[in-house]
Amino acid sequence: MSAPAAPSTSLAPTPGVVWRRWRGTLVVGLLVLFTAGVVAVFSGGDSGEANDPADSSLSGSLGLARLLAQEGVRVERVTSAATAAAAAEAAGGDALLLVTALSYLTPGDLRTLADAPGDRLLAGVVSPHLAPGVTAVDRARPRSREPECALPAAVKAGSAYLGGVALDGPPGAIGCYPSADGPTLVSYTHQGRRITVAGGAEFLTNLRLAEDGNAALAMNLTGARSTVVWLTAPDEPPPLAGPSGRSFEELIPAGVWWAAGQLALAVALLALWRGRRLGPVVAERLPVVVRAAETVEGRGRLYRAGRARDRASAALRAGLLDRIVPRLGLPPDSGRDAVIAAVTARTGRDGHEVAAILYGPPPADDAGLVALASTLDTLERQVKDS
Amino acid sequence: MALTGRAGLLAALGAVAVLFAPEPGLALAGIALLLLALILADLALAGAVRPLRFHRAGDSTVRLGNQARVELIVENPGSRRVRGALRDAWPPSAGAAPRHLALDVPAGEKRRLVTTLTPTRRGDREAVTVTVRSLGPLGVAARQGAHEVPWTVRVLPPFLSRKHLPSRLARLRELEGRHPALVRGQGTEFDSLREYVVGDDVRSIDWRATARRHDVVVRTWRPERDRRVLIVLDTGRTSAGRVGTAPVPLAGALPRTPPGEAAGADAVPPGWPRLDWSMDAALLLAALAARAGDRVDFLAYDRAVRAWVSGASRTELLSALVNVMAPLEAELVESDSAGMVSAVLSHAKRRCLVVLLTDLNSASLEEGLLPLLPQLSARHLVLVAAVSDPRVAAMARGRGTPELVYDAAAAERLNADRRAITARLRRHGVEVVDALPDDIAPALADAYLALKAAGRL
Repeated sequence: MSAPAAPSTSLAPTPGVVWRRWRGTLVVGLLVLFTAGVVAVFSGGDSGEANDPADSSLSGSLGLARLLAQEGVRVERVTSAATAAAAAEAAGGDALLLVTALSYLTPGDLRTLADAPGDRLLAGVVSPHLAPGVTAVDRARPRSREPECALPAAVKAGSAYLGGVALDGPPGAIGCYPSADGPTLVSYTHQGRRITVAGGAEFLTNLRLAEDGNAALAMNLTGARSTVVWLTAPDEPPPLAGPSGRSFEELIPAGVWWAAGQLALAVALLALWRGRRLGPVVAERLPVVVRAAETVEGRGRLYRAGRARDRASAALRAGLLDRIVPRLGLPPDSGRDAVIAAVTARTGRDGHEVAAILYGPPPADDAGLVALASTLDTLERQVKDS
Repeated sequence: MALTGRAGLLAALGAVAVLFAPEPGLALAGIALLLLALILADLALAGAVRPLRFHRAGDSTVRLGNQARVELIVENPGSRRVRGALRDAWPPSAGAAPRHLALDVPAGEKRRLVTTLTPTRRGDREAVTVTVRSLGPLGVAARQGAHEVPWTVRVLPPFLSRKHLPSRLARLRELEGRHPALVRGQGTEFDSLREYVVGDDVRSIDWRATARRHDVVVRTWRPERDRRVLIVLDTGRTSAGRVGTAPVPLAGALPRTPPGEAAGADAVPPGWPRLDWSMDAALLLAALAARAGDRVDFLAYDRAVRAWVSGASRTELLSALVNVMAPLEAELVESDSAGMVSAVLSHAKRRCLVVLLTDLNSASLEEGLLPLLPQLSARHLVLVAAVSDPRVAAMARGRGTPELVYDAAAAERLNADRRAITARLRRHGVEVVDALPDDIAPALADAYLALKAAGRL
C-alpha cells in the first residue's frame, strides 16, 4: 500500500484548525455574554418585593413615593416592625403605617405594630391585629371598579383598579368599590385612628399608577399625614435558627462540604471519561424501506373506510370469473348467460342461485360481503373439484 | 486526550480522605494537584498517536451474506510502546466487528489487526476513520487521535439463484444434443453428419450423403448459437418496493415494530426490494445464456443509464455483471420508458432478446411502455419479467372478517389489473413472466430455454 515515507494519515487537528473550528462558538458565546450584560445594565433598578417604594420596576411603587415626596410627605421605608413602630413614635402620631406584606412578620411583630400610633393602610393584606373586625370573604377579580360609597377619598378619585379579595368590615365601616361578594376597600375609625384596608395593592404599583383614579386614590389615602411609614419585606430574609441559635448549615462539619466538592470533581472526571467517544459517529444514507403491498393495503383501507361493498364485491366476482372461466372451457370474453349455464351444468346448482352469486346486486352490509366471499369460495371449489 | 475510569475512581476515593482530613480545603487542593500531575505525567509518557503508520490488506469484494476480512497493519515508528484501544470505523451497514480492538504495539514494531465485515447491504462500503487511544503507563489518561486509512469493500449481489443453474444447464445440454437428441425442428441449425447408429430417427437420415459414402449417414442438429440477449433492469420507483422474505438479512429488511403498536399486518418484514430479486433472476439468465453460447449485454435504466455491460467475454461476464450491479439502488423517480426504449434501440443494432425486468404496474406501463412497444417488438423479441408480491396473494385469500374481505377485494383488484396488462402485452407479441420472488429466477430461465428450444431467439 503505502511506503514508509508516505505522508502522515493523522487527522489530529493543528492549532489553526482548532481556532477555525471553535471561533464561531467563541463569537456566539461572547455575543450572549455581551447581550446579557447590556440587559443587566439597562434593565434598571433593583427588582425587590412588590410595592417596594424604592423599586422602579413595574411591580414596585417608586412612583407613588416620588409623588408623596413632591407633596411634602415624608416617606420612611422600613423593613422591620421595630423600626416601623419607632418611626411612627418619632412622628408623634402624625403618621400613616402602610403595610403591603405580612409574611415576614411574627405575631410579636404584629403586636408591636398594633401598639404603634397613627393611621393604618393595609393594601392586599388582612390582619386581625392591625385591622380588627375586617375579614376576607372571597376572591374578587382585580379590575377597574367604581367607588359607589361616601368615602371622600374614593369619591374624589373615581374609578380605581381594585380587587384581590372581597372584604367584610366591622359595623359602621364604609365599604367602597364593591364586587359581587362585598366591598374591596373598607375604611373605619377604631380607637381614634383611621384604618383603611384595600383588597389588592395593584393600584399602588408603577404599572397601574397612571390608570383610572389610581394615583388620586393612593394619594388621598396616604397623603393625609405628614409621614408615611412604609413597611416592606426585608431585603434579605432572616436565617432560620435552631434552638441553640445555630442554623442547620452551621451544624454540618466543614469537611463534608469539601468532600462534596471533591465528589463533584470525581463526577466531572467520570463524565469526561464516559463522554469521550472512541472515533466519530458514522452516519449512512440507507435506501428507503417501503413494502410493495402498501398501495394494496391502502386501497383495502379505503374500501373499508368508504364501505365500498359494490366495488369490493365486483372485484371479488371478477377475480373468481377470471379463474373459473378457463376451467369451464369457455373463451375469456364469454357472456353472462354462457357462464351461468356452464357453472350450472358443472356443479348441478340452481341457475338462479348461481346468477345471484356471480351477477347479483352488491351485498347490503359487511356481513353480507363476508358471506358473499365464502359463497364465492365454495362455488370455486365446486367448479374445480367437479 | 481522554481520561479513564481510574481518574474518576481516584477522585472519588480522595473524597473520603478529604472528609476526615484535619484541613479539608488543603486536602482537596492537594488531591486535585496530585490528580493533575498524574494525568499530565500519563499524557506525557503515553505513546504518540500522530506518527503511527497504517496499511490495509484483505478482501475488497464480498458477496452479500458472506463475511469479509479486512486487515489493518499498525506500524509504530515512535520510541514508546502504544498500548490501548483502536476503533476501525465503518458505516453501520458494513457490520464491522469487533467494535473496539485492543492495541499493543512496541516501539518500532508492527501489529496486524483484523476486522470482520458482515455487510447487510449491496454497494461500496468505505472505511471511515481509524481512531487510536493510547494509554499512559498509569492508566489514568490517554492520548487519542484519528487517522484516515482508506479502503473500500464492494458488496456484490449474492446470486442465490445459482442453485438452479445445474438443473437448467442439464436442460440446455439436452437441447444442444450432447445427449443424443436428433430432433430436428425450428430453432435448430445443421451441425454435422455422422454414421447411423441403432436408435436414431430414420427421418434424419441424409440419403444423398448415404449414397456418396456407401454407409448410412444421419444429420445432426443443434440449437442456434451466438444469439444476443439484452437484459434491461428497471431501477425506477417500482423496483424499490419490498416483497417476499429476505433470504439474506438486508439493511432495513427487519420488521419495524415501534413499542405500543399492535403486532399485526405491520409486523410483516418488508423483505427484499424488487430490484434485488430482479438482479438475482438476471444473473441466473446471464449465466445460462453465456453457457448456451449467446452474447449477453446488460443495461440498467431509470431516467438515465445507470449501468451498461457489453461485449464481456463468456468467462468474465458474471463478474462484470455483479460488479456493475453492486452499487445500483432503486431511484425514487418514475422510469422514463421512452428513454429506455431509445437506449435499447441504440445499443442493440441487431435483433436480440430484450429481457425487461420491471413491475407489471398498469398505470406506469400504460403511460410509459405500451405505446412504445411496437418500436421495440418490431426489431427485437421482448420478454417482460416481473416479481409479484406474495403478500398480495395472501391478502387475496383473506376471509372471515369485513376488514380481511375488503383487503382481499383490493388484492383481487390488483391481480385483475396485472392480468389485464399481461394480456395486453401478450397481444403485442411480448412474452410475460410473472412469478413470486422465490420463483422468478427459475421461471425466467425456463422461459429463456423455451424460447431457445422453439428457435425464437
